[in-house]
Amino acid sequence: MEQKILKKDEIEKLYNELASEYNVYAPVKKKGNISFEKIEKSEDIVLDYLNSKIPPKSVLFPQMEVLFEYTLDEKDVEITDRQDLDQKILILGIRPCDAYSFELFANFFSSHGNWKDEIYLKKKENTTLIGMGCNTPRTTCFCTSVGGNPFNKENMDVFLTDLGDKYLVEGISDKGKEMVKNLSWLSDATDADVKKSSELAKQAEESITATIDSETIVKNLETNFEHPVWREISESCIGCGSCSYLCPTCTCFDVIDETDKYNNRGRRIRIWDTCQSCLYSLETSGHNPRDTKIQRCRNRIMHKFSYYPENYELLGCVGCGRCIAVCPANNDILTILHKVEKIEEKGG
Amino acid sequence: MTIETENKDIENSIRDTAKKLLSEKQVDVILGYSKGTLPLSSTPIIIRKEDDVDKLVWNNLTYINIARYLAPLMPQLCDNEGNPLKIGIVAKGCVGRAVNLLAAEKQINLENVKMIGINCNGNVNRSVIDLEIGEKEILDVLISGDDIIAKGKDWEQIFPYDQYINELCKVCQVKSPSATADTCVGECQELESIHDEFADVAEYDAKSDDEKWEYIKDALEPCTLCYSCRQACPVCYCNLCFVDQNLPVWFGKTTQLPDVIVFHLIRAFHLAGRCVACGACSSVCPVGIDLNKITRKLEEIVKKRFDFTSGLSAETVPPMMDFSMHDAEEFMLEED
Repeated sequence: MEQKILKKDEIEKLYNELASEYNVYAPVKKKGNISFEKIEKSEDIVLDYLNSKIPPKSVLFPQMEVLFEYTLDEKDVEITDRQDLDQKILILGIRPCDAYSFELFANFFSSHGNWKDEIYLKKKENTTLIGMGCNTPRTTCFCTSVGGNPFNKENMDVFLTDLGDKYLVEGISDKGKEMVKNLSWLSDATDADVKKSSELAKQAEESITATIDSETIVKNLETNFEHPVWREISESCIGCGSCSYLCPTCTCFDVIDETDKYNNRGRRIRIWDTCQSCLYSLETSGHNPRDTKIQRCRNRIMHKFSYYPENYELLGCVGCGRCIAVCPANNDILTILHKVEKIEEKGG
Repeated sequence: MTIETENKDIENSIRDTAKKLLSEKQVDVILGYSKGTLPLSSTPIIIRKEDDVDKLVWNNLTYINIARYLAPLMPQLCDNEGNPLKIGIVAKGCVGRAVNLLAAEKQINLENVKMIGINCNGNVNRSVIDLEIGEKEILDVLISGDDIIAKGKDWEQIFPYDQYINELCKVCQVKSPSATADTCVGECQELESIHDEFADVAEYDAKSDDEKWEYIKDALEPCTLCYSCRQACPVCYCNLCFVDQNLPVWFGKTTQLPDVIVFHLIRAFHLAGRCVACGACSSVCPVGIDLNKITRKLEEIVKKRFDFTSGLSAETVPPMMDFSMHDAEEFMLEED
């Protein structure tokens, strides 16, 4: 039998076995928020969760990351590159929407091969995903409208389904199949287990009620850059940028140099940035192409639903709904997209 | 009167006043709150037509201080010729305080603003409710009698309103705007000073210096320096915030604790005697940091030292922007 069973009390055993080879990241509850953190003891792992508040992009693309460090000696510069990129990473319990976001990241970080972000790509290459089906999507979830599915296994190496008292384990990629094979102590799944898993998948898919018409949105965005709807959409925005910080597909970063001139050393760091900040697009000349809130709110939608499809033939949104839940002004992206859908064609 | 009936009364009075102001052309637009798309939310809304006033709601979920939209940092509401519109703003006490403070600091012209004063009965503490409910989705929230009822797929949980409102609302002494009839219609009061025991700060004060440091470190540790607190603050209106300046760099931009602490420290300095205690900063924090303890301490220091409470008058500037020969300066060190 291809499918195996992992009992819920065997998580510790699974973790111990994996931790000998990988740095294991999994959802933990920190001050009430679920986020993916490096696991030191298996009791911290919380697999019974809706979705993490902070997306697991932070594992491969942390909010703050040292790119390299350097020391200066007279005229010589010595650069110390990152030594930790060969470490093997395992992300346990990642949801299909977030796993898909890593596929979108690959577009940005390799830019059609024109330019490669070695740090990200190296980490991604060394990463294994043990994902988990999403039994109870939220009302803010709309993955099925953007090409996803609560039980999408495509981007996983191993896929778990929560059957209540145990998990169904399936190897998906070659690497994942090998991994499941090596976990020889897993028991075999029965036909009833497999059947229950597909029932749960069907139920989960049917429970998603929020929808968008992405085709119409992409089409309407092409010709309505100056439409008055953008003013309406941006009116309640306070420009905090939480939507992009917690977005699993947002990749923008700023690069800063920290110099310690007393010790002749320094480091180059990248930190998350957001197009919702006024400073993001400010040019050295003083000109700012996105000087107003209207332009910045429009950019967020355009980037995900127009520029992304244009550049990569994919939507830049995975439908996780985090931006809806976090927006302090409740400027709901579904409401925004529905307004875009309803824009009538010019002259029509 | 229960919270439920109070809410209905407040909502009706907001709608009636808004309609009257619009129909008599006393204002061009109304800034208020409308129903949100999520159970524990509301959305700020700009009403332009009399027919739309029924979109205005009062539901104890009004986390954004809408005076924010008057501050110069935000795009100003203008007509097609670029002339400022007259704005009616639904004003609970802390919105009124922010309007007064912005006027005192000469950031808005009160001639263009009319407050629709209401006697606020508080905001629901959604982060505590979220925390207690845990990994379940809230599908509906309603106020019934004096209870907040949160409903999910096959569960229901009751939270007594008086225990589950924001900590700042529990100690609020300025429930309706402090203003005269010139600037405010509806529920308003003319306050010169308030009496506040700051009993909620006592617990923090009782800590030793080391314990205070530990408390602050622990509270701020999850901060991602996203600056949502700054964005939501109705009295943070600098064109270029000190954290964004890079010539010179005022402070490090990493998310390591020293940088986080420096940001919050300087933010606290900038808000001393200016914070209007609306709690928007804590309500909008994406990682749920409670900044209210810090802002309450600020309020206490300014009250005790200068007998000043921000936003009670549109004329008096905050002590940090003023100079008085009578200020105690016992902290100044003599040269000899």
